[in-house]
This record gives sequence, C-alpha cells and structure tokens, in this order.
Amino acid sequence: MVTVQRAIEMLGVPTVLITVEPEESAQARPPRALCPRGFIAGHSLGRPEDEALQKWIVMDALGLLRETPRPGEVVHRDYT
Amino acid sequence: MEKPLELSRYCVPFTPFTKALEESLICLVTTAAVRAKSDTPFNVEGDNSFRRIDSSLSTADLSYDDAHYDHACVDRDLNCVFPADRLAALAREGRIAGVTAEHFSMGYSQALRELRETTVPQIARAVSAVRPDAVLLTGG
Repeated sequence: MVTVQRAIEMLGVPTVLITVEPEESAQARPPRALCPRGFIAGHSLGRPEDEALQKWIVMDALGLLRETPRPGEVVHRDYT
Repeated sequence: MEKPLELSRYCVPFTPFTKALEESLICLVTTAAVRAKSDTPFNVEGDNSFRRIDSSLSTADLSYDDAHYDHACVDRDLNCVFPADRLAALAREGRIAGVTAEHFSMGYSQALRELRETTVPQIARAVSAVRPDAVLLTGG
C-alpha cells in the first residue's frame, strides 16, 4: 500500500494513508499516515454503519495534509 | 516500458499540500479489492490488476473479493475499508470540494516484483490523470 502511496506522491500528488498495520507501514516510510489505534484489517474506518466515526477518521486523515509534515512516520490516534 | 524510478527507502517522497480541503478534490485508492458489482471480480488467490470505480456509485453498488481480512465489518458496510459514501457526504457538507470522477482499487497479490514494476506505476499514473488535489489511501 505504501509503495502505491509513494509512487503517487512522486508524481506530485499529496497523499495520506489510513493504516491498521502501523509497524509494516512505517517500515515502508509513508509520506503521511494515520493509524486509528486498536482497529484491525477489515475495520480500518472503525465500526460498520457508524457514519460519524468514519467521517471523523477520514477528516483526521485529510487533516494530516495541513499539519506539520512528519514524512516517514505513522501518526497514532484514539477514537474511543 | 521504462522502469519506474527507484527511491531509497530512507528517502520519503513528499509533495506539499497547499490548498484548503474545502477547495480540494479527493481520490480514494484502496488495496481492499473493492470493485463495482458489474465489474470483473478480483482473483482472491492473487491478482495484479486494478479496477477503476465510478465515484458516482454508492457502496451499495460495490462489492469486494477477498480472503485475507476480517469481513464482519465490510459485509454490513463497505465504508469500513472504502469510505466512498463518507467522502460523498463530506462533499455535500462542503468540508471537501468533491471527489474525482473515479476512485481506484487493487486486489491481493504476493507477486511483489511485478506489482512494483507494473501495477504500481500504472495505477499511480491513472490516479494522477484524474487530477486529484489529494489522495486518501486505505488498506483492507
């Protein structure tokens, strides 16, 4: 996933990744990445039909585009 | 085809984001093997192709082909891995300007060299061609 992200970023398009495998993602050095703490594969955006939570995570991820850059790092946040 | 540029893992490509989110078109890219119901299924054992997803489709019009992540969430709500409906809602609320005409999806693959040399450059060019202001990527 980070390979795709880096390839897109290299074409001049800003990217942000939502990952639930932060160790694996961090090793591949993503330009920007958010890990919603405690979620697992298949539940990257949290619970089914929880629109408010899913929008919150999407907006937080997009918000990383505007924050102080931390390229190569995965930002961990809690959503409980 | 020209081989893609190789970058040391220790270098991180970085494109500054200078617009406001309210003025930005967002493109969604996933590795969760999502596709339009009418499109060709992914091979769950390994598939290096990718699918374009018309962004006017809601998740009710989409499906997935996967045998590698937990499906309890996606069987009820595909937004768990592919938040297309949530981006559409954020656009209606004016929190983003909108979404690109197409989103993109890849399947599961262990053919990493072919992925890196073929699929990844292809999908990156296809994503760039729909002119997003920013790209949101999600895994399974």
